[in-house]
Amino acid sequence: VDEWLSPPSATNMALRELASLEKYLGLRKPNKYSTQGDKKTPVLQNNAAPPLVGLLTIACHLLKEAKRPELLGDSAESRAVVQQWLEYRVTKVDNCSKEDVKTVLKDLNLYLQDRVFLAGNSFTLADVLMYYGLHPVIVDLTIQEKEQFVNVSRWFDHIQHYPGVRHHLPPVAVLRNRIYTSRHH
Amino acid sequence: MTKEGVQGATEEEEQQAQSKKALKKQQKEAEKAAKKAEKQAKLATEQQSADEDDFAKDRYGVSAMVQSQHKLDRVLVRVQDLSPEKADQLIWLRARIHTSRAKGKQCFLVLRQQQFNVQALVAVGDRASKQMVKFAANITKESIVDVEAVVRKVEQKIESCSQQDVELHIERIFVISQAEPRLPLQLEDAVRPDGEGEEEGRATVNQDTRLDNRVIDLRTTTSQAVFRLQSGVCQLFRDTLTNKGFVEIQTPKIISAASEGGANVFTVSYFKTSAYLAQSPQLYKQMCICADFDKVFCVGPVFRAEDSNTHRHLTEFVGLDIEMAFNYHYHEVIESITDTMVQIFKGLRDNFQTEIQTVNKQFPSEPFKFLEPTLRLEYTEGVAMLREAGVEMGDEDDLSTPNEKLLGRLVKEKYDTDFYVLDKYPLAVRPFYTMPDPNNPKYSNSYDMFMRGEEILSGAQRVHDPELLTQRALHHQIDLEKIKSYIDSFRFGAPPHGGGGIGLERVCMLYLGLHNVRQTSMFPRDPKRLTP
Repeated sequence: VDEWLSPPSATNMALRELASLEKYLGLRKPNKYSTQGDKKTPVLQNNAAPPLVGLLTIACHLLKEAKRPELLGDSAESRAVVQQWLEYRVTKVDNCSKEDVKTVLKDLNLYLQDRVFLAGNSFTLADVLMYYGLHPVIVDLTIQEKEQFVNVSRWFDHIQHYPGVRHHLPPVAVLRNRIYTSRHH
Repeated sequence: MTKEGVQGATEEEEQQAQSKKALKKQQKEAEKAAKKAEKQAKLATEQQSADEDDFAKDRYGVSAMVQSQHKLDRVLVRVQDLSPEKADQLIWLRARIHTSRAKGKQCFLVLRQQQFNVQALVAVGDRASKQMVKFAANITKESIVDVEAVVRKVEQKIESCSQQDVELHIERIFVISQAEPRLPLQLEDAVRPDGEGEEEGRATVNQDTRLDNRVIDLRTTTSQAVFRLQSGVCQLFRDTLTNKGFVEIQTPKIISAASEGGANVFTVSYFKTSAYLAQSPQLYKQMCICADFDKVFCVGPVFRAEDSNTHRHLTEFVGLDIEMAFNYHYHEVIESITDTMVQIFKGLRDNFQTEIQTVNKQFPSEPFKFLEPTLRLEYTEGVAMLREAGVEMGDEDDLSTPNEKLLGRLVKEKYDTDFYVLDKYPLAVRPFYTMPDPNNPKYSNSYDMFMRGEEILSGAQRVHDPELLTQRALHHQIDLEKIKSYIDSFRFGAPPHGGGGIGLERVCMLYLGLHNVRQTSMFPRDPKRLTP
């Protein structure tokens, strides 16, 4: 254990998003987290049991505490899809290079073409964590790029306005009209 | 036998063998030479007989250099006038060999004149001999020829030519000026749209190669169209303003002091002292206003010594400058300028459709859109639109180029226009002679005009009061001594006035939706290019 930090002073992104997730879930008492290793993996000390390590593990634990299991998917199929996107978030989105970002956005844009949420028609933890994970990427996009990945932008705008999700993150402007209609500019 | 003996014997044998070989060789060579001579003789006689046989030998050839020996009473038809109405007529024309393709007894030529071209054919028959076809096929590309031919209607449209309904059956062909066989660039390569023909591995020509060989590049249909349209812009500018009662003036380009600071001016040596190349005719336009010329304009070179290598900066460009006295409000000036711009856009749209389409073939873009009357937005409105789109900027910050472009997009989406005026710029980002806004001293009576989101004109109401002008100059920490004569011009009664300057090359570039100002400058000058 390297350091003890308590939100809101936390500078670690994972810790800040766990704090925001707690707020979204309406958990009364904020947990205290620490980090370990070079990658600052979040750790939750559990009084009764061994400590919980890792963003996804802790997030799933928080859902259980808040009695919101449906956020992990309401059918066997959607539960699998949610797990897939959670894995995607920590393996592909976190710490990815500039070129990889474009690939992620391209893939996601195609996937979201006919979906409102990542798991189809219902809001899940995958949407929350992907939103938190992609926020630093989307903030840096130009308006033209946001239009290029229009499905990602639509989904992102929807999630950032989803009641109670945004918390620690600044809102990102997403235009509702296309302004780069022609190919040639 | 000694070893040496053996060696001697073999040497002798060798020598004998060698001399035999040499003899044979000599014999062979002699035979060869005889054969060659025979062949040559045969060829020569053939050639001679062919020349004698060539019934068409007066119908082709390389003409003597035109040194104005004769005044031929011959009408040369223009390629663009070759239409089915001229069918079956025997005509003369002068054109370049654009391409040629020989095929047995026929040779197809594409003859080009400026941006127009027509297919022509030399075929062995009662008018043309085998030798004439061969001669035609061997004329180098880009050579200039005089051709006598019969105009014939064609069954199927010739898609590759501008004159699609007719072709020429050549009866005489004379080379007036021969081009060297190797061209530094191929015209077809220079007009190929980006990305087209990539699969066939066809070449495109990059900008620097084009500019290095500008004389040839200017022959392309695209260049021809661009510069004809540019000439149109100038003419429309002059015509419109002249009709509005403006007077065209000529101002000196060698000046004694830099008009706006000295950072971006070229210094030239001027006898025992130094002078500058004018960044704008600003001072002279204003002096003319003070000299009762009321409304003036000026078309001429403008110099900027900025070391910026961008798609839209040149070190010398053509400025279209306007200055006019107004009665009570500087919006009279804005309206006059925007109306002039609208007249230019309309004139181009109505009279230069062929040129626009020619350029579009290589560089596709959407037609240029504008409103009547022209849209005028205030700076604060523009900033609000940008903020709504997520741009963070202060009230009095200048617009960055990306933000200018973005605002252009937002305006296009909201108002469907590619041309608009942004009015009331923050005073802090404008030159010292800009009149402050009477209602809010942080802003000014100044404006920029934009085409497709890029600035083409900067203008303002100028301070015509010497006291305020002095005050503003001091605020900008300008040495009053250097601008004394400028300020003094306003001491003897100066009418309120305003104006602006437009870059001709930028207007053409943005009207046509091109991406580099060098494409609309005939012989561009930038920090890295001084030739051709």
